[in-house]
Amino acid sequence: MDIQTREVGNVVIFDIDGEITRPAEATLHQFVKAELEKGKRNVILNLDRVGFIDSFGIGEILASYISIHNLGGHLKLCRISKKLYIVLQVTGLIKVLEVFEDCSAALKTFGEP
Amino acid sequence: MDDGRLYRILHRFFDLRPDESRAALSLFAYFFLITFSIYIIKVVEETFLIGINPRLWPYPDLITVGLIGLAAAFNARLLTRLPRRTHAARTVLFFASNLIIFWLVFNMNARDLVLSPTVDSSGLLGAVPLLVTIKDSWPAPVIVFSFWADLFIVMTVTHFWIAVNDVFTLHQAKRTIGFLVTGGLFGGIGGALLMWLLGRVVGPTSLLLVCTAVLVLMLVAIRRVYGQARKIPEGSDAARAASGQRVGYFDSLRTVRRHDYLRVLAALLFSATVVGALVNYQFKSVVKAQIDNDLLRTSFLGSFFFWILVVSAAVHLATTSRLLKTFGVRLAVYVAPIVLILGTVSLFLLPAAGVGLMAWACFMRGSDKTFDNTITQSVRELLYIPVPAAVKYKAKVFIDMFVNKFAVGFGAVLYWVLYRALSFSYRDPVVQVRLIAYFVIGFAGLWITLAGVIYARYVGVLKKDLRKLWQEAHKKLEAHVDVDSVAPIVDLLQSRERSSTLYLMNLFRMVRSDKLTPELREALAFREDEIKARSLDSLLDVGGEAPFREIEEEAPDADLVTVISEVLHLDSFKTVMHSKLAEIVDGPASPEMSRMEAALLAGLMEPTPEVMRSLRRLLEDPSAEVLNYALGSAAVHRHKAHLPLILPHLGQPTTRQAAQAALAAYGPEIDDTLRRHLESDKESLEVRRAIPEVLARTGGQRAADILTEELSRGRGEMEQELVDALFRIRADRPVVLFKKKKILEAVYSIVRACYALILGKGGEESPGGSDGAALGRAALLELRIKRIFDLLTLIYAPDDIAKAYQNILKGTAKSVDHSLELLDNILNRNLKTYLFPLIEDLPQEQRLSVLRKLRRRLDRAASGRRLNWAPRLFRMTSRDRDA
Repeated sequence: MDIQTREVGNVVIFDIDGEITRPAEATLHQFVKAELEKGKRNVILNLDRVGFIDSFGIGEILASYISIHNLGGHLKLCRISKKLYIVLQVTGLIKVLEVFEDCSAALKTFGEP
Repeated sequence: MDDGRLYRILHRFFDLRPDESRAALSLFAYFFLITFSIYIIKVVEETFLIGINPRLWPYPDLITVGLIGLAAAFNARLLTRLPRRTHAARTVLFFASNLIIFWLVFNMNARDLVLSPTVDSSGLLGAVPLLVTIKDSWPAPVIVFSFWADLFIVMTVTHFWIAVNDVFTLHQAKRTIGFLVTGGLFGGIGGALLMWLLGRVVGPTSLLLVCTAVLVLMLVAIRRVYGQARKIPEGSDAARAASGQRVGYFDSLRTVRRHDYLRVLAALLFSATVVGALVNYQFKSVVKAQIDNDLLRTSFLGSFFFWILVVSAAVHLATTSRLLKTFGVRLAVYVAPIVLILGTVSLFLLPAAGVGLMAWACFMRGSDKTFDNTITQSVRELLYIPVPAAVKYKAKVFIDMFVNKFAVGFGAVLYWVLYRALSFSYRDPVVQVRLIAYFVIGFAGLWITLAGVIYARYVGVLKKDLRKLWQEAHKKLEAHVDVDSVAPIVDLLQSRERSSTLYLMNLFRMVRSDKLTPELREALAFREDEIKARSLDSLLDVGGEAPFREIEEEAPDADLVTVISEVLHLDSFKTVMHSKLAEIVDGPASPEMSRMEAALLAGLMEPTPEVMRSLRRLLEDPSAEVLNYALGSAAVHRHKAHLPLILPHLGQPTTRQAAQAALAAYGPEIDDTLRRHLESDKESLEVRRAIPEVLARTGGQRAADILTEELSRGRGEMEQELVDALFRIRADRPVVLFKKKKILEAVYSIVRACYALILGKGGEESPGGSDGAALGRAALLELRIKRIFDLLTLIYAPDDIAKAYQNILKGTAKSVDHSLELLDNILNRNLKTYLFPLIEDLPQEQRLSVLRKLRRRLDRAASGRRLNWAPRLFRMTSRDRDA
């Protein structure tokens, strides 16, 4: 899994490439926590190039959501695959996580162009 | 003078911010002029009033009661129809013109009557009939003037406090109130001094013209004040209040009646005012008996008010702000009634001959006036501030004008009844005063009772104004999601594409635990009979053929779970599977998928020694995926022997979640095992960091105590995890109690770390661990403050703390104010002292100065070196114990 971060205004976008599975190196949640510790509160996960997420990966997204939400921030997902959408639907997570078809729509909800 | 210089001068004496200085000074001047004129008018009024027959003393107050309601209604209506600046200015002009008329009337009364029907030396024929009328009607002009004076005082002071509300927010008002009231005190001192020095020379009447000039200056002050009024956001309560809604007397009355808080506030003011009125009658009785001459009386009253105000100013400068800041509204509201009760009781210790009576009367009236000018007035205005603006404007006019005067009228009726019923005209002043004292004690007692009630309501109003801006994350999740099912569902869906055996075992696991929701069924789109057949095939397939074909054929309609469970319990099946398991586990080159299947199967089978042995081996597997399933199976069996194998997996990010879930499944019985690993310095930091989450999930009292104990050790590298776990326990299990002393110790420790962040290291060690060394100070400070508030939810009402934190972080200016005020009223005094400089909006220089001072005190407390005045941080106060 490769994670690139970029900032648009006060929003941090994680462009994730690969599979969000049990990693040998740093986890997604650790990346998110690092941004929280820099004072960032608005995060978008761009899952356009994510081919596969296992239960560990879902757990990382949930842990990131909890960390961000409890600090008054927002986590949004964009460009998720159909499979992941089904997973979110079946688990009920679609009612909690905000999902967008494209990342510009997610950015707009943060008041960014 | 520029704002910066002005701020620097004022800041030496008062708690002001740079952007407030000019507005505060304008309000200071406004209040100065109001009270300067009030004390000229009051001395004139009292001089004349004391001079007339005491049986007439209640009449001015009764007239006030009768007419003030109309005046209040008229004023309320004008407040909403006219811009407040215009209304305030026109009111002052009206009163200034009245003063000239009164001067004329009193002057004419003082002149000798011309009896012959000729034109007198002034050349005005009409002056003679007017003189006669005035002389004949005397003391009616005195009574009219007394009513007029009451009206003047109430209306000008009300306009002033409305102007304060227009210019400042709640928190600004609380901070600047000391400065503003000082302006009022200095004005009163000036007016009283003028009367003292000039009263016996010029006489009271001529000084009314001086007052007229002061009112003209007041117009300038009003103009300056409203030039500083803050812009009120559209749509806010204040904006709607200012937009010209109809407000009548009955509307104001209904507003007060509808609000429990305002009713109690009105009752509190009523009882306090009745006490003041009765004390005033006591004072008048004594002064009349001891000073007969008008000029001497003017001078005496001038000096009396002068010294009262000087003492008030000294008391106010030295104590009011400090009292409010240290003890808050909660205790400040009791000060006046308690002193007055004690003073009244002391009357009965005076000799019957009345020695010391004048001194006693001066003390009582002086105390009442002093408190009224300082702490009581400040507290009263602070009690108004949490009320929504639209309600406040209506209510304030009603309460300040009508209720206040009604209470004075009530006191007047009481005195009138006592005067007649107890024949005061035939009684010694000492006896008169003692008889009134019984009623003073009664109403002061009522005052004290209402003070307690209003304080409780005050905090309620603050809380009501605050909303929670967001729900805690895991609560939000639990409301919509079965969090424990998420991983199994994902594993199920994923395994469908990887291994039919794994898939079907996952499916069986879901069915057995009744987690196969309609959404999941639809997503899987399976048919039950197909599944039954395939699952039996897979489970029973030990070499390509199903050896128990007859079972498959004989149980086509049986419940899937029951059938499979029965099969799993068959001895023959167990024998076969044990050997299969051993083959996979012990085999040198078993494929990862086979090991995953074996790990999942171990959780479905009975915990025989062979299965447990296989599971032990699988818990040491190098594959994270195999471990995930093995840990899941370990969670099913909860075998003590597996604990040492599960714990190390807490240290790996790939298996941490599964290991935490597995350990949590053991429940509270392993709390002490977890404690040993948590406390052990030999255990790896990553393992120790993962343990608090497990304890949060087992979540009993013992788990809470273990976490609190570890937190109090002050090893900062796990601080975040410990606080998060405690926060979670508090949210999930409200019955769990937390050791307040230890939590407070942890809070102070984090506060100290926050000070170090702001002030720079200077020898302080910043706690390391998950925060790291390279983080932005502001972000780190915010995280630490969050931890402080998370800990405070353990020892104070969680909702109150959560609301306060969320609104301080992301609320409007008003909700930030209310949050700070709420915290001011619920946190213990020590905690407030150390916490508030971190969360209040202070100028940087002031914050640094305060923090340096507080850090020195914290350092002394932490090192055990205490000076007499340093706070005992780690001793529980009675409030801590009671909470």
